[in-house]
Amino acid sequence: MKRTLKRGAGLSAVVGLLCALCGCWDNRDIDHRSLPVVMGVALHDDLYEVVLQIPETSQKGIDIRIISQTGKTINQAVDKISERMETSVDLLHLKLILVETEYAREGLTDSISSFMRARDISPKTIIAICDEKLDPFFDYVASSMTPKGTTLYDCFEKNAGWNPQMSLTRIWEVYRSIHSYTRDVAIPIIKSGRSGTIDYLGSALIKNGKMVDRISPEETLLFNSFNGQSAQGKIEVMDHASVLILRSSVRHRSKFAHGTPHLDVRITLKVSIVETKGSVTSKLVKKEVEEILAKRFDGMLHKVQTQESDILGLGQYFRKDIPRAQLRNWRTEYLPKLKVDFKINTIIQNDGNTKLT
Amino acid sequence: MDKSWQVTLIYFITHLGLIFFMYPGDIIASTEDGHWIPIVLGFAVHLGAIAVYMKGLVRLGNRDIVSMYLGMGKGVSLLFLLPITVYFLLICVVSVRCLSEIMTVVFLSSTPLWAIMFLFLFISSYIAFKGIRSIFRTGLLIGCINVPVILFFFSASFQNVDWRYVYPLIGKSSFLTNPSYLESFFVFAGGFLFLGFTQPYVAYRKRHIVFGALALLPFFVFSVYIPILTFGQATASTFNFPFVVALDTISITWIMFDRITLFLLLSLISFMMLYLSIVLWSAMRVVNQSFPSLKPAYILLAIPLFVFIVCLYIPDWKDITEFYWWGTYLRFYILVAVPLSTCFFAGRIRKRKVGL
Repeated sequence: MKRTLKRGAGLSAVVGLLCALCGCWDNRDIDHRSLPVVMGVALHDDLYEVVLQIPETSQKGIDIRIISQTGKTINQAVDKISERMETSVDLLHLKLILVETEYAREGLTDSISSFMRARDISPKTIIAICDEKLDPFFDYVASSMTPKGTTLYDCFEKNAGWNPQMSLTRIWEVYRSIHSYTRDVAIPIIKSGRSGTIDYLGSALIKNGKMVDRISPEETLLFNSFNGQSAQGKIEVMDHASVLILRSSVRHRSKFAHGTPHLDVRITLKVSIVETKGSVTSKLVKKEVEEILAKRFDGMLHKVQTQESDILGLGQYFRKDIPRAQLRNWRTEYLPKLKVDFKINTIIQNDGNTKLT
Repeated sequence: MDKSWQVTLIYFITHLGLIFFMYPGDIIASTEDGHWIPIVLGFAVHLGAIAVYMKGLVRLGNRDIVSMYLGMGKGVSLLFLLPITVYFLLICVVSVRCLSEIMTVVFLSSTPLWAIMFLFLFISSYIAFKGIRSIFRTGLLIGCINVPVILFFFSASFQNVDWRYVYPLIGKSSFLTNPSYLESFFVFAGGFLFLGFTQPYVAYRKRHIVFGALALLPFFVFSVYIPILTFGQATASTFNFPFVVALDTISITWIMFDRITLFLLLSLISFMMLYLSIVLWSAMRVVNQSFPSLKPAYILLAIPLFVFIVCLYIPDWKDITEFYWWGTYLRFYILVAVPLSTCFFAGRIRKRKVGL
């Protein structure tokens, strides 16, 4: 009898545990949630303006709903939106955060830190800068882009609409730039275009979470290949020909003498010729590619050094030479003094289907 | 029956459960550069303690350490068994409270704390109630399911690593007195005691444990170095759980789940439950052998209840870290005194037997 009682008690405990299986508390079903894909943030007179782009399924397919609200904090604005909607807003699946240029210039430190602190926004969320007011931009997106679940985000998705001239930066990288001594990031800048496209204007140089300057798309391509992001597929336009970069590899050698850092950079590009104008020799193409890239790199390096924003992560190569106490001043003390010896080696792997004359 | 592999596996997975939460944060807070030095130093202490402990246990033969201490007289048993019991209770409180806090921070934001703590304690005490053999069997099952998951995500976490953040390699020795460093010994002192409790039930070859410990070394090193290599020291030191955040930055497009952190955390939490049940069971053994009149079942009800009530009275994260800090002296006492005394007393018992 006692045994059966014991067994019964054990069994009911086990069955009771089944209730815990769902593991949720105050659970909201998916049809009562709104999951924004894109969030726009701007700051005007100490008030945050938050714009959410929420895909909603309808009978015709997918509609894009744009809702905007202001608040003292980003969270307050989101809560206000949530109050006014019949569903609750959940930032769990946010894919892209758009920031207005003025706000980026003032510094993103506060909002990036709170994005990192709050668990609902993933640190992997991509960040971009919008070079116009948010309201007209989102109006444009809603009216002229094809409504899809991931409209706008697809421009930055690596296996969708991303191009090698675009920088691809995530929240955690910006957060790292705020705190790290030797590492900054570049954030892509976009603007509404014509007939349903988005114009890409280049990238913003970020220093400690603040936008200080901008670089062109071509320079961003170089930035990407410098950082080991493959620049594959990009067509390089010159006076005489355009080439397809098949592969790029970078080698660095650092030297630190008498308080001056030196860096040797060798980029090896493997290209294939796509288009030519007139008669061109492979020697000429090679020379032109090397010249153009060297010029671009110098321009970018000049911006990096004058703005003291280490987007190329040049300080990383000197971590073993400079003690930590001085590394803190890398951006101000050493980066402007840095001497870079930049060499490009181009290999024309093939000429495509036709022979080069 | 020889259960060496089971015991080693349990030893391995309970330590895995301990490593990834608090340890990286503690080490990163303790020093600014050359993190491998504190890691290797702590590991060496752990390995030394285990080697001495194992030597003592081999000499002890088929008995557990509780009966050994009790056989040495009242003074000795008070000197060792009381701290061990208090330490077990402390471990229970700290790990239950920490884990439930981590759970609420990381994914169950709307579930009340008491429900999570209750579930933890309930499951762990249920496993403990079933005895050490079923703990081992459960461990084998959980290990087979979750160790591959952990290995996969552990190797995936190297995705955003920038190896140049390793420098500078040599740091100052000031970490030795840093409170965070002393706290980090939680992982080294928490999990090995149970090896002395299993003897009468499960026999195992002691050398295997040392191999198990060596297999843990890469996890100790990279649990700290992955956040550092991903973010750099200056950024990593701003996080409460650096490894969890570092894991959040991983994107693997072909996995249909956006956040892989969840999987790793759930595996680790299942290990922690197992760890809790072992600690509860060990605490029960100490109390039961010291006071044979008490029934094991009642002890196993009383201890979790006590832990639960204490956990409810800890209001915030600051108090948890304070609690954590109180245990430091006790931790070092356990880490040093228990292995040495086991080795010493076991030797004396053996000599006495030979003398007879």
